[in-house]
Amino acid sequence: MSLAATLDAAPDTRAMARDEMAIARRHMTGFPVVMAAWGLGNLAVWLSLWSLVLLGVLPLWAGFLIAIFNVMACYHPSHEAQHSNYALHGRPLRWLNELIGYVSTIPMGLPFKIARITHLDHHTYTNDPLRDPDYGNKAPNWWRAVLGNIAKRQPGRPNVYGAVLRAKIAAGDQAAKRAVLEGMAQNAIYLSILTALAWSGHAIEAALLWWLPKQIGSTYISLFLSWFPHHPMEEQGRYRNTRHFHYGFGNVVALGIETHIIHHLHPGIPLNRQRAVFNEMRPILAARGCRLDET
Amino acid sequence: MSLLRPILAWGPVFFGIAFLAPLFAQILQALGVTAPLGLPPIAVGLAVGGTWGLIAKLGGRWI
Repeated sequence: MSLAATLDAAPDTRAMARDEMAIARRHMTGFPVVMAAWGLGNLAVWLSLWSLVLLGVLPLWAGFLIAIFNVMACYHPSHEAQHSNYALHGRPLRWLNELIGYVSTIPMGLPFKIARITHLDHHTYTNDPLRDPDYGNKAPNWWRAVLGNIAKRQPGRPNVYGAVLRAKIAAGDQAAKRAVLEGMAQNAIYLSILTALAWSGHAIEAALLWWLPKQIGSTYISLFLSWFPHHPMEEQGRYRNTRHFHYGFGNVVALGIETHIIHHLHPGIPLNRQRAVFNEMRPILAARGCRLDET
Repeated sequence: MSLLRPILAWGPVFFGIAFLAPLFAQILQALGVTAPLGLPPIAVGLAVGGTWGLIAKLGGRWI
């Protein structure tokens, strides 16, 4: 084939990039009301469980099941805040962005600033064995990913996120230092509340409304936000490091993560709009050689 | 942070005493199980929680 024929046959990447950005921009406008309501509403439901259960209005087993769902659902609104999707730095609603980031993950006990720093590194270095903080979630199948996640939380195990933050602090990163101090304070508050509840006669409620749901929900988040969309974590590059996948229980149970590829391409698009963007963008993604419809 | 590191290393033992001990005691009470030797439930909880925490600290795993 001649050079001219090869160039004619090659996809017009500039046109594709232009079309891709045009679609993305249409969905990045306006305040993401759904995600804000999701974050604050989910927190309100989880907080109300405590009074409902302690007053005997709601059985503890029902509270436990709802709390598990609350923890599973709490990460996504904070994730939007990590990307400043509610309001960029310097905008009037910046306080709301940070508020949602901090409070929506209280059921999960996840420090917001640590999550933001390590998550942005994940975006920058997706699937890089040495620099992607989420690379430790690599596993040959989903149940090994679950077991690996539980193993990582055992005492004394190497903490990749901690190592990333220590390296940043050693390099003089003051934001990382503040994030670690904040995270330690938040963890101390979490453990103090658990202890206070336990010694005041509410240990079982504390275990079933917070501690155990946090363990289950954290594993779910790790599986669905890290393992499923990036498996097998072997490719890097904008159009290959994340996949569109199907796993049998549908995008609702996955809380929208089947189309996580859209998030990695355009982090400014809120989670609730990613399915629509994916449907519009699918021909471009296919032409780009993206990993679509994997199982 | 370096000052906190030795304290954090004993985190599993603290967690065993601070949270698991009253949790075990209240589970025993909820199940109506009588502790051996006439011990109060919290004594059993402290023994189980503290020991489990120590095992977790020394062995590097809760389960």
